[in-house]
Amino acid sequence: MKKLLSLMLALSMMLALAACGGGGGNGGGGTPPASNPPAGSTGDQTPPPADGGGNGSGGVLRLALSTNDGSTKDDRVPTPWLNHNMATNLMWRCLLLADSSLTKTSPDLAEVTISDDGLTYTITMKDGLKWSDGEPLTADDVLWSIDAVMAATNKNSIYSAAFGKITEKSADGNVITLVLDSPYASMMDILAQFSILPKHSLESADPATIDTADFWKDPVTSGYYMMDEMSVGNYFTLKLNPNYEGTAPKIEKVTVSFVTDFLTAAQAGSADFLYGNASDLVSGMESLSNYQSIPVDVLFYKYFQFNMKGVDGNENEAMQNVEVRKALIKAIDRITLAGFYPTANVLNSGVPNSHEAYNGFEYEYNPEQAKADLVAAGYDMDRTLRICYYNNDQTSIDLINMVVYYLEQAGLKVEATLSNDGTTDLFTTRNYDMGFKGKSSFSMEEWYSEYMSTDALFANIFGGDTAFDDAIAKLASSTNDADKNAALAELQALEQEKVYKVPMFTVGNYVFVSNNVNMPAGVEFCNPLYTCDIDFANWTVA
Amino acid sequence: MLKFIAKKLLLMIPMLIVISLIVYLGLKSTGVDPINSMIPPEVLSQNPELAEQMREELGYNDPVLIQYARWLGNIVRGDFGYTMKNEKIIDIVAARLPYTLELSAYAMLFSAVIGIGIGIISAIRQNGIVDYIGRVLAVLGQAVPQFLVGIILIWIFSIKLGIFPASNRVSPDATNAFVDAFMHLFLPVLTLTIGMVAVLMRYARNTMLDVLNSDYIKTARSKGIPEWKVYLKHGFRNAMKPVLVILMFRIPTLIGGSVVIESVFSYPGIGTTMTNAITNMDYNLVLVITLIIAAVMLICSFMVDVINALLDPRVRLGE
Repeated sequence: MKKLLSLMLALSMMLALAACGGGGGNGGGGTPPASNPPAGSTGDQTPPPADGGGNGSGGVLRLALSTNDGSTKDDRVPTPWLNHNMATNLMWRCLLLADSSLTKTSPDLAEVTISDDGLTYTITMKDGLKWSDGEPLTADDVLWSIDAVMAATNKNSIYSAAFGKITEKSADGNVITLVLDSPYASMMDILAQFSILPKHSLESADPATIDTADFWKDPVTSGYYMMDEMSVGNYFTLKLNPNYEGTAPKIEKVTVSFVTDFLTAAQAGSADFLYGNASDLVSGMESLSNYQSIPVDVLFYKYFQFNMKGVDGNENEAMQNVEVRKALIKAIDRITLAGFYPTANVLNSGVPNSHEAYNGFEYEYNPEQAKADLVAAGYDMDRTLRICYYNNDQTSIDLINMVVYYLEQAGLKVEATLSNDGTTDLFTTRNYDMGFKGKSSFSMEEWYSEYMSTDALFANIFGGDTAFDDAIAKLASSTNDADKNAALAELQALEQEKVYKVPMFTVGNYVFVSNNVNMPAGVEFCNPLYTCDIDFANWTVA
Repeated sequence: MLKFIAKKLLLMIPMLIVISLIVYLGLKSTGVDPINSMIPPEVLSQNPELAEQMREELGYNDPVLIQYARWLGNIVRGDFGYTMKNEKIIDIVAARLPYTLELSAYAMLFSAVIGIGIGIISAIRQNGIVDYIGRVLAVLGQAVPQFLVGIILIWIFSIKLGIFPASNRVSPDATNAFVDAFMHLFLPVLTLTIGMVAVLMRYARNTMLDVLNSDYIKTARSKGIPEWKVYLKHGFRNAMKPVLVILMFRIPTLIGGSVVIESVFSYPGIGTTMTNAITNMDYNLVLVITLIIAAVMLICSFMVDVINALLDPRVRLGE
């Protein structure tokens, strides 16, 4: 018995020692999670912070990155060339800085001027710019970044649409010249979103898979902060970048935890800044008294796309008849479905109904007529219609269940599949008829750019149809409202004739900021998947 | 004894091969084309022939058994290969497995101490208060799914009381590594422990009751041996043998069970990695992790056999 007890005691001690040394490194001072006030409480029943600071976060801004959608991995910083987030916005700068509308810019890394014909962009880099590792940030980094993003596969399509216009680019000292083949109205706005990355750290990486390079585990940065520590599967921390040439922010440290659920992170008091638009998240966050909810008006489209034809020529026979596609939409009550989201506006094209260029067309909801139209179009009602979607939040699941119900009411057999890898299933595997998708668009141009015959993703399901190309080019090069509206009118007519994709509604986004954070007056947030000036240097954490 | 151990060890090899073959064929039969995950659609639209070219280069057009043999050969040479996103699998396993082993070790230790302790007391004080409470808790512990227990614990201790963190294994702002480890491990360990205590408690109670009713215990009592000595020296010792076997067999269950619990607690172990690998259809990683869990299962089974053989020579003779 004594031997057994001794053995168990020894085992306990060994395990305790293992706990002391296990689990990776730890950051410096601050507050352990136990001291954070629980959601919805005043925090007075929790012990004070270990450092005796008596505040919620010890002067540390706590961010969270969700790994739930599979696009963010818990062992690296996500690339800012796909989506921005608060952490990457604090780590990398762009040539220009956008305001909250994303359409007005001011100099950041550089000043940019445009020639009268709109074809030549002269970019003058600021003097004395440095990367966080002390290397100079030069025009060479900018030219390399433009080439690299064009070769990268995991990126936002706004960059390929804009930089695909560049026919010549050169650098002379700190002055870069870009020459376009035709004017591109949004180029300045795009330059204000395009993070410049360090050539010296990344040029040996495969450009196609640059987002998976080891660089992202300990990246070199240009912004307010630089990498301090990465704890795989747990978090990374940021410290002030000593080579940042501007005014240093007041917050000296930022922690970024990898979480699977934003709401739980907020309820547990472990994140100061979150965003999202799912109604369960929004209602959950709005019930927390220690967060403020800030609605942000964004062009976040929720839409159906039809699987038409691959680049290999393989057609999805069942969806070739446009009358079938129109009838399917007619069977869905989009106005009722919009009620699933806290703020949603039903759409009939890529142009919001409130926009002056909206052409007034409306998709009607008429299940009986839909059924008759399907029969008249020769659709095989015994065939199973396949819907593919990838958003795994409860709101999206409920919404798709309702869509299935509507379509079944029209006499269809329907099967909905929740994809674990939306991009692959929607654009490569293509085992579906209707795909349900979301797109946080930078602008209406981005919505329409998906119709380009050369669009890297949509060419896989629209078969490279060139019908939209001219009108999209007109929209991209329009520099005044009249030209832009004319191009939008043409595009709306085309998309309502072709019915390749049908918008359901746009969904407003929300930013949630903890009461620990003190923001200067007048801060306006932009679409949280993009970057803009939020006067972060003057933020403090209580 | 050495011959017995060698024989058992050698038997593990064909068993591992059979398990890996079943898993390999099972994954192949899902019909998911790994090439789809390896080539981004953006690249595919520019180069539709690339998929077939890669399929040929990677040997995906070969018969399944040849593909399996090639994969197994690499594993034997210590080459675990790469994930679909071109990351070294060995690096991922090396980073994640220690987290899971740590979680499982604590859960096993606490469940053994608590489960066996309550089981023994329940048997000695049969139909007493501890026995009744223990039996109710055992039913509850086995009936309530572990993920639900985890969610309830997060709701109570993280969200409502704010005592323990709801996720991860390490805090970015921890000042004391031991306290931080304790805080992060407490809830997932408790969740795993609750389920396992229920099993061990019932088993320990029943075997102890059997032993206490056996003839040699009656003989010991009739010889005037003090009651505590009867319980500990004669009862406990003999009752523990089958309980230890159950304990050993629970180790792989713990590691397998952590697949769910780690996801609930965002715990960065092999279980979360497995869940993500399945989500991302990362065949190669799923195969390796499954093989690791199978290997742990076989090693535990082997240890049970050896312990049994050490305790009971008839086992060796039977072999």
